[in-house]
Amino acid sequence: MTSDGPRLRMGVLAIVVGSLFAALFARMWYLQVLTADELRLAADENAVRTVVQPAPRGRVLDRNGVVLVDNRPSNVVAIDTAALDVDERRPVLARLAPVLGVPVEELVERLEDPSASPILPVPVAEDVSDEVLIRLRERQDELPGVVARRVAVRAFPQGVLAAHLLGYVGEVSPEQLAELEGLGYEPGDVVGKAGVELAYDRELRGEDGTMSVEVDAAGKPLRVVDTEAPQAGHDVVLSIDAEVQRVAERGLAQGLESARGRRFSDDDAPLVADAGAAVVLDAKEGSVVALASYPTFDPAVFDDGLSQAEFDALNDPGAGVPQLNRAIQGLYAPGSTWKPVTAAAALRTGLIDRRTTVDDRGSYRIPGCRGGCTRRNAGGAAYGRVDVRAALAVSSDVFFYGLGNDLWARRDALGATAMQEVAAELGLGERTGVEILGERRGAVPTPALRAARHEEDPVAFPEGGWFVGDNVNLAIGQGEIAVTPIQIANAYATLANGGTRFEPNLALRVQRPDGSVVREVPPRITGTVPVAPEVRDVVLEGLRDALVVPGGTGVDAFRGFPLDRYPVAGKTGTAQAPPRQDTALFAAVAPLGDPRHVVTVVMEQAGFGSTSAAPVARSIFGRISGLEQLPEVQLANGGRG
Amino acid sequence: MTPVGTARGTGAARGTGGSFRDVAAPWRHVDLVLVAATLAVAALGCLMVYSASRFGLEQQGLDPRSSLERQALFVLVGTGVMAVVAAVDYRRLRDLAPVVYLAALGLLALVLSPLGTEVNGARSWFALGSFQLQPAEPAKLVTIVAIAAWCAGQGRAMDWRRLLAALGLGSAPMALVLLQPDLGSTLVFVAVVVGLLLVGGARPRQLAALGVAGLIGVVGILQLDVLAEYQEDRLTAFANEGEDDRQGASFQLSQAKATVAAGGLTGAGIFDGTQTKLGFVPEQQTDFIFTVVAEELGFLGSVTLLLLYGVIVWRIWRIGLLAKDDLGRLLCAGVLVMVVFHVFQNMGMAMGIMPITGIPLPLLSYGGSATVTVFAALGLVANVHMRRFT
Repeated sequence: MTSDGPRLRMGVLAIVVGSLFAALFARMWYLQVLTADELRLAADENAVRTVVQPAPRGRVLDRNGVVLVDNRPSNVVAIDTAALDVDERRPVLARLAPVLGVPVEELVERLEDPSASPILPVPVAEDVSDEVLIRLRERQDELPGVVARRVAVRAFPQGVLAAHLLGYVGEVSPEQLAELEGLGYEPGDVVGKAGVELAYDRELRGEDGTMSVEVDAAGKPLRVVDTEAPQAGHDVVLSIDAEVQRVAERGLAQGLESARGRRFSDDDAPLVADAGAAVVLDAKEGSVVALASYPTFDPAVFDDGLSQAEFDALNDPGAGVPQLNRAIQGLYAPGSTWKPVTAAAALRTGLIDRRTTVDDRGSYRIPGCRGGCTRRNAGGAAYGRVDVRAALAVSSDVFFYGLGNDLWARRDALGATAMQEVAAELGLGERTGVEILGERRGAVPTPALRAARHEEDPVAFPEGGWFVGDNVNLAIGQGEIAVTPIQIANAYATLANGGTRFEPNLALRVQRPDGSVVREVPPRITGTVPVAPEVRDVVLEGLRDALVVPGGTGVDAFRGFPLDRYPVAGKTGTAQAPPRQDTALFAAVAPLGDPRHVVTVVMEQAGFGSTSAAPVARSIFGRISGLEQLPEVQLANGGRG
Repeated sequence: MTPVGTARGTGAARGTGGSFRDVAAPWRHVDLVLVAATLAVAALGCLMVYSASRFGLEQQGLDPRSSLERQALFVLVGTGVMAVVAAVDYRRLRDLAPVVYLAALGLLALVLSPLGTEVNGARSWFALGSFQLQPAEPAKLVTIVAIAAWCAGQGRAMDWRRLLAALGLGSAPMALVLLQPDLGSTLVFVAVVVGLLLVGGARPRQLAALGVAGLIGVVGILQLDVLAEYQEDRLTAFANEGEDDRQGASFQLSQAKATVAAGGLTGAGIFDGTQTKLGFVPEQQTDFIFTVVAEELGFLGSVTLLLLYGVIVWRIWRIGLLAKDDLGRLLCAGVLVMVVFHVFQNMGMAMGIMPITGIPLPLLSYGGSATVTVFAALGLVANVHMRRFT
């Protein structure tokens, strides 16, 4: 070879190589600098879908491990409104209806339900069979926007038990989202909306996982790229005892049923007896053992979100507003169940001591009063000479009218609001602070409150002064007073346990599905109430006598109950609630000596506490003590408030 | 030039000797630029292999560094091989060439037997314990050596007889590789043979005739369905970009292109490429390793890599020019074509301007056979440089 031969040839090679490198450089420039944005966008969309894998929500258990709320799979058919134009909806629904075997109108109605989610696909059919689900998927092409999938919904193995308490889940609302900001909630999340589901949502919900799936052009998954496993929610163990709850609910329903139609007295209309509540607290633990409200509802209605029709049914006044949780939302005059408050006020201020007696001749005339000044015992009964203990046992109104009058007459020395102070210490007229939302406060009237209300709105509250008659009324739990059943129960619990006031807890602990404890729910003590032992003893003795001494208001209801082995102390109440019929109440603690459980039963338009409410409480105590299992609530005969 | 004798004599007289005073001593003429660029690319390769493989390995419950460690070992072995190859005078290869060439052909034939392992439909590996040998890689270098040895010293003009002999030397391994089938490597042989004929003195007319014959051959292959469908798809996918079926070869291509584009100007940062992490690009640590560079180091990183290859290629070309004899020049030309073809074909494929064929990016792709082969080839080039005065 000559010397320029190879040089020439190497030159040709260099030109070729240089061109190739230039081509690579140009392509790099084109892809990475010129068109990078478009292609990058395509990269993000084209191949990956991230699918949220919902975390299984934790279960709700009773204190003995009985499952109250669980999850179950359900095949749901929903319409993704975002993927379906308004004018396409009808034809799609018309094709969908025969597959589901549902009239098309029903589908339209559900789709257009005002409560339907604006974000999530709107469910139009639940619990459809697997075959239908498969058929829908096969026909996906003709049914755009139809989403058929298996989801986990809440299941209630105990049926309607504790429906008010457990609450429900649903799509998070914008307001809730704002409230929960920073806690990892996102639009479209399913969260607790009421009851335990709401109160313990953060423990129950767990953490959703994600799965990134590579898909082809048709959206068919090719392979899983990345997964982050969902973290199951924790189980919440309630302080509720399912068996006691069951007895409370059944007792309440049966008690109301038996009371219904009975005549209060010969000249009165038959009792309506259409609603009520029962509360069982653990006075030592500061927890709720049972919380029943009647009428109730099937919590399964919340499965798929609440339709307007379902919402209306739950709030139908004609049906007693089933959704109302009367145990914490019902406001009632406490009637004679208030008398321990009056007794405590009188004893504490030194107005009386335990030996002070009054001759009860059946009526009481307010001294120095003109017109309408005579009050009578219920049924006009006369109890003779009674001390405070006996007055509680037989529920002598005359005795307590006298205390109300005297406390007011000597207000300069004893204070104008001796009764209200005791009530406030025991938590009456205040929310107890139980975890579930919607609890009402009620009110215990005071001279100051009345004056303030009058000043604010003289038309609605024409009377701004506080008179002796008001004190007399309040002494027997009547007048403008309004409290909830759980308040009464918590007040009795505070009295019975020696003065420790709790905010009642609904849960004992949070645990993992395998039972290991995540955290104990500590008792919440709001304060210690100065309950002198003498005062407490006198009151509890009076309440025990009510169930055992002849003439005691609870004797009939507890006849035959093994009080020797499981001593119960209770107070009946029959509160006037014009224009409605009287409210029947019963509040009791047991076992005496070392009181643990408090039961309060309140029944609307059900007449005497002794005949209607006390037997319901008896059946509950029978279950708690394990000493008595009555097939039905036995109704006592006769009776007085 | 009398071929055999001179080479032997030179080697015996000077190749092994050389005192410290001897300015022509081979060790004084190591091309440090070439060595530095080579090691730089190899080091970057280790990093990129680690980035591409660690998540996949972790997901399988394996040590995420195992690919990195193996690739580092390959680089270490390769460096050693490069040193050894550079140390022995390349002119002795004339004697060795026939033996090595026949051995390579033997291995290529053997890999087609049941002794070879079939992976992804191609029978191209020997499994040796936990390592694998891909005989096609060293065969490329061996073929370069064989053709160079044959053409060197045959006088200036290349007549048809010699040209056909050279073609024959190239065709035998090419055919065996095609049988595996390994299309990419087959094309490497084609390029190498053409490059050697060009530099080796083939006349324009001869080259043109070869071009026409080659074109007829390619059309014939496509028409006669000799290739498996997937091979044909891969070869034509880059031309069919419009039809975006994300399933076959075109999916692979769009993924690779999207990943390259995802890097943008400056890249996502090393170990931070999401496409890479999530394993969107198939075969990323081997055939599509460039997409890791592109995504994580961006345009600037890609260009830097291209520049490093440019430096290597420039040094090879320069050594070819400086070479003392035809053999040295032809060896350099063969290695140059091999490296350039690998780089262009591999990067071009990842960026959608070349068909998808599975050949590695030199010194960057994971794999022992290819890495060691490239080191050996560059060692040979360094060898030529070291002995240009002897």
